[in-house]
This record gives sequence, structure tokens and C-alpha cells, in this order.
Amino acid sequence: MQVYLPIAEMSVDALLLLGIGFGVGWLSGLFGVGGGFLLTPLLILIGIPAPVAVASGANQTIGASVSGLIAQWRRGNVDARMGVVLLAGGFVGSSLGVQLFALLRRLGQVDLAVAFFYVVVLGTVGLLMVRESVRAIIRRRRTGGAASPKAHEHTWLHGMPFKMRFRKSRLYISVVPPALVGFGIGILSAVMGVGGGFMLVPAMIYLLGMPTSVVIGTSLFQVVFVAANVTLLQAWQVGTVDIVLTMLLLAGGVAGAQFGAAMGTKLRGEETRALLGLLVLAVALGLAWGLIRAPDNLFAIGPAR
Amino acid sequence: MPGSEESAAAATAAKRDRIFLVVVDDSPERAIALRYACLRARKGGGRVALLRVVEPVGLVEWAGVGVMMQEERREEAEKMLSGLAAEVNEITGGFPILIIREGTPRDELLKLLEEDPRISILVLAMAPGSGGPGPLVTALTGRYSGRLTVPMTLVPGTMDEKELDRIT
Repeated sequence: MQVYLPIAEMSVDALLLLGIGFGVGWLSGLFGVGGGFLLTPLLILIGIPAPVAVASGANQTIGASVSGLIAQWRRGNVDARMGVVLLAGGFVGSSLGVQLFALLRRLGQVDLAVAFFYVVVLGTVGLLMVRESVRAIIRRRRTGGAASPKAHEHTWLHGMPFKMRFRKSRLYISVVPPALVGFGIGILSAVMGVGGGFMLVPAMIYLLGMPTSVVIGTSLFQVVFVAANVTLLQAWQVGTVDIVLTMLLLAGGVAGAQFGAAMGTKLRGEETRALLGLLVLAVALGLAWGLIRAPDNLFAIGPAR
Repeated sequence: MPGSEESAAAATAAKRDRIFLVVVDDSPERAIALRYACLRARKGGGRVALLRVVEPVGLVEWAGVGVMMQEERREEAEKMLSGLAAEVNEITGGFPILIIREGTPRDELLKLLEEDPRISILVLAMAPGSGGPGPLVTALTGRYSGRLTVPMTLVPGTMDEKELDRIT
């Protein structure tokens, strides 16, 4: 069943899009992540132009994250004050990121840049995930015990100005590190079309030293608003949010997320995580192959400059 | 008669050995169940056991984060139980048995009762108001009543300290 995507200016199989939405939604329900870091590259791999894939991927992230945020908020797991500080950095970062994106598009290099970003980030993340879970599996085989966590080390945080008390996180730290973290994730969010939760969560724990109970909720808080900002700016300044594409992905995603959330408790952590890591690596390799292979059409017709 | 003396001694020993199990959840009526169990233990002999069930961590994309979450929840439960243990010690003069399990409260409670024959009475408090007595009481008096292996005492959540003092 082919549908025409008005902004991407191409026809795609609607069932394929529903399927991708469902698969990514399933993973996001399972792991409680937005899933943008898989959705956007998958869209690029099926031939959607990178600008459209990035803008629509960010939009899909909002759908998955809002329901998660509501659930976490009700349970009191959102540090709103920390969220606002992160968000301040996030707004600046994502707004700058969209400008960068628009600039790259004018230069005609946006496809290359997005693919390159993804290869680097997904490659790193995938490798870390696989390494972490393989280690955990080996350790379990040997001793039967769980891994011991690293202790919080955040002495360098205490030397910075503009200190603020974050009661929910039980922290008294400078606002500079969280704002910088938010800024970095904001740029990634704008250029890659991801929510950024998969990098924000470890950053909050290991860099900021936040307690894990509020980390997921607070990261969702940041993700929802930053992704909304990205979608709005992309639609306004770059004009690449494809509503047909987004609706199909969201429809699949909502169904998949319900399914994944129900299955979440029944699967073994390490193995599933290793599979997710391998999937991330496979997507990175697919994009890397797209960067280095000789294109089918060596010449393309573009608008006159 | 020496026989009856022996059985009387055995009876007091059993009285001292009996254990009141209180489930520590986040409901306000928990304090009433705990106080009731403490008063019973002080006046009639016996010990108090506290069970805290920690919610398991679901899948998180980073294994290290998941392990840290588990660790933190456990620590929090330990802190909470040791706070309550001091309270129990004040009333009964002895420290309670502290048990931390991971899973859903109902299943872990039933499993513990099956595994630990020392526990003799389960003490639960009922939530006041029209919202029902609370999920555990509802489950254990309804569908799961057949799996209960010890007697259960239900304390009305509306009782205050004086009333509890009077009846124990």
C-alpha cells in the first residue's frame, strides 16, 4: 500500500512505516526510551531524505515520551527544578542546532553530516552497550552475582559558581554543569532528531551525581520540551516535518509501546540489552556503508545555485 | 504436677517465640499496624518482623544504570527499616527482624509466609474511608485467601493510640 509523503516528496509503503513505528515503539516501551536514535537512521536507510527523517523522528520522540513523563510525574519522580535548568541549556542548544542544520542544508551537506553524526554516536553507544552487557553476562556465569556500580564522584562540581539547591535530587551544585549537559543534548537532538535520553540518563548519573530514582522522569521532562522545540523550529525554519510520515509512525509507535511495556518485566536484562546494542551497531554500520560505497547515480540533478 | 509445669513453660517459650509480621508499605495506616504489633509483642511476648518489598528495576538501556537503581532502592529500604526498627525497639525493648524482598508485595509476602515457619501472625491495617481496605487486604481476604498459611489480624485504620493501648 503506497502512500505519498508530501514533504519528503516520495512514495513509501504505509505498512512498512507502520511496521517501523511499531518496532521502535516496542523497544521504547520495553526500555522506557524515546527510540528516536533508532527511528531516524531507519528512516534514512529506507530512503527518506535526512532532513525529513530528522525532523519527523524528533516528533515521534515526543509521542513516546509524553506518556512516560505523565506516569513518572504522578509517581513524583521528576525533579522539576533540575529539569528547568537542563531545559534552559536544552533550548539554547537545540535552537543553535537547528541553525546549524539549516546552514548545512544550504551548503547541501546535510545528508552527509547527519549520517556522519549517527555513525560516530551510534557506533560508540552500540559498542559500549554490547561491551557492558557481555561483561555482565560473563560475570553472572562466573559468580552468579550482579555487577557492582561505580560510586558517585563529583568533586569538581563543587568548585563552580551559581550554586543551587535541588531538593528532589538531594544535590547542592552549580547550575553550570547541568546547563552544559542540556546544551549538548539539545544540539544532538536538533541535528540527529533524537530525544537524547539514552545519553542524558548516564550523563545525569555519572556527571551530575543525581539519584537514579529521579533520573528517568527528569530526562523525559527535558526530552519532551526540547523535542517539541526542535519540531517547531524545524517546521518553521527548515520546513521538513512531514505530517503523513509522522502520523503513520505515531500510530505504529503507540501500539508498539503498549506491547513492549507489557513484556518489559519478562525478559532477561543482559541478553535483551546485548541485542539492542547489536541492533544499534548494525544501524551504524548500515549508515557507514552508505557513506563509503559508490552511489548508484554518480550525478544528481539539483536546483541551480 | 510436673507435666503441667513443663507445658506451661513451653507455652511461655512459644509466646516469646511468636512473631508478628508487619508489611511496611507507603500507606499511612502502616503505622497503626506496626503499633498494634509492637504493643501485642510487648504485653503478650513475642517479636516483630518487618517486611519491605522493593519494586524491581525494569529494563534500562544501560546495565550500569540498572544496577545502580537496584542498589539505591535497596539502600533506601534499609534506611527506612532501620528507622522503624528503632521505633519498635523503643516500644518492645527488642529489635525486630528486618526482611527486604524484591518483587510485587503480595507475591513476596505469600512466598515469605510459605518459606519461614517462624512467623505466626500477619498484622495488616485497613485503610480508613470508602476507598476499600487497601490492595493487600483485598487480595488476602479475597482471591488469595486460600494461600494464607498463618492467621491474619486486621486493624482498623481509624483506631488511635489510646484505643490500641486499651485492646492489646
